[in-house]
Amino acid sequence: MALLALPAAAQVKSGSEFLSPGMARQQADETRNPGFFWVEQGEGLFSARPPQGQACIVCHAEPRQSLRGAATRYPQVDAASGKLLNLEGRIEQCRVERQTQPAFGHESAELLAMTAYIASLSRGLPMDVATDGAAKPFYEAGKAFFERRQGQLNLSCQQCHDGLVGQKLRGDTISHGAGTGYPAYRLEWNSVGSLHRRLRACSLGVRATQFDFGSPEYLALELYLAGRAKDLPVETPAIRR
Amino acid sequence: MFNARITMPAEAKAGEIVEIRVLTRHPMDRGGQSDGKGGTVPRKILNRLTATYAGDQIFRFDMHTGVASNPFVSFTTRAVATGDIVFEWREDGGATYTRTSRLTVT
Amino acid sequence: MSSSISLRSRAIEPNRRAVLAGAAAGLALAGLPAPAFAAGTPELSEFVARITEGAVPLREGVTLAIPPLVENGNSVDVRVAVESPMTEQNHVRWIHLIADKNPFPDMARLHLGPRAGRAEISTTLRLAQSQRVTAVAALSDGRFAMAEADVVVTLSACIDGG
Repeated sequence: MALLALPAAAQVKSGSEFLSPGMARQQADETRNPGFFWVEQGEGLFSARPPQGQACIVCHAEPRQSLRGAATRYPQVDAASGKLLNLEGRIEQCRVERQTQPAFGHESAELLAMTAYIASLSRGLPMDVATDGAAKPFYEAGKAFFERRQGQLNLSCQQCHDGLVGQKLRGDTISHGAGTGYPAYRLEWNSVGSLHRRLRACSLGVRATQFDFGSPEYLALELYLAGRAKDLPVETPAIRR
Repeated sequence: MFNARITMPAEAKAGEIVEIRVLTRHPMDRGGQSDGKGGTVPRKILNRLTATYAGDQIFRFDMHTGVASNPFVSFTTRAVATGDIVFEWREDGGATYTRTSRLTVT
Repeated sequence: MSSSISLRSRAIEPNRRAVLAGAAAGLALAGLPAPAFAAGTPELSEFVARITEGAVPLREGVTLAIPPLVENGNSVDVRVAVESPMTEQNHVRWIHLIADKNPFPDMARLHLGPRAGRAEISTTLRLAQSQRVTAVAALSDGRFAMAEADVVVTLSACIDGG
């Protein structure tokens, strides 16, 4: 298996480095990147007063300052429950527990918009998740998931996303799977979608079990990917193929 | 959920050619997929965008299913008078959406 | 201003996903699908003739900029520029875009006029497969001009049916 000799996962690059120059320009251009529609929607929701409870902005005043950098620290372990929460999970928790509203639901336009908006407040800031302490078991589980062969094709994430980065897989260039641009506008979807939606496509690609949105498996993997992507800038809303 | 982002200069000199860039949020659903009940989903796209400025229609975009989801279009117009450029989209089924953008001519 | 386009549906050919399913199986590091362009197919000339009402377009004065290799057919940037003074007497009336292998070959028509100042537009198109894209411009003197470009449409690797 010399082909699959695995170099250390040093030098993880952003998915943007694997875009064509045209798509990279489009990503950076607010007049062209449709992902900004979701950001704009999220900004509106953030200030909108729900039927009961308070608008997000009542507690999180001046979000451009107060939430700047927040997305760089997700996924993180929720101190009260001991659960691993990604940004979507934190938004839903706030919505249900503090605003006493029904959850938006995974992949709803509203949750994608809120997540894209809050992540966009950290654009350009380096990823900085905790992978030690309470996060360590989750990080280790994510690492084990990444390294484990899965599915009918019997491939691990690592075999392609460390071992074959930069090579072609049909029309795509294989990336490190940094995930720093999600929620992202993906041409394949004609829409913005979450990292977990992308991971479900990966699982399907190797004919492996697709886990649910927000499942412990994908949350742990998200943490591992975020740990690998340490110091890469947040790019939400990115454009991806 | 419809939305539009219109990008153009706020000011221009009389006679100057200005570029207008329009990005639109719309799924541009081609239709034809199964609706799960034995039928098919009808087509639902924006089928027309018109831009009107200083009394005339200056641009019209007839769109069919070959136009992308969340479409982008750019075109030009010559600055003639200070006023609103009115953009109107027509959707399958008859709904219309309107946006305006002001151009000040110096 | 002008008549609307009559759409003509065609039986949908095996789509790119079905055609490439073989390549997908096993995640083979496949090369690009071989371009299969039938230059000047009768059908394409029929499409052009229908919108020019039989007139043969000039093959000059139109620039059609489109990537020769498209990463995903769902959104393809295209820019068309026509050499024209864009005066009342001499201007481009409209630009029509055709993709002969799309289920609906007529993609769009962009109506311009002397007030445009310049005959230059760009937009984003959907291309069902590798094919030839054609831009036909109708000029105010009754003539037509056109340009064509061959486009290879590749696929992203991990399609999730979303």
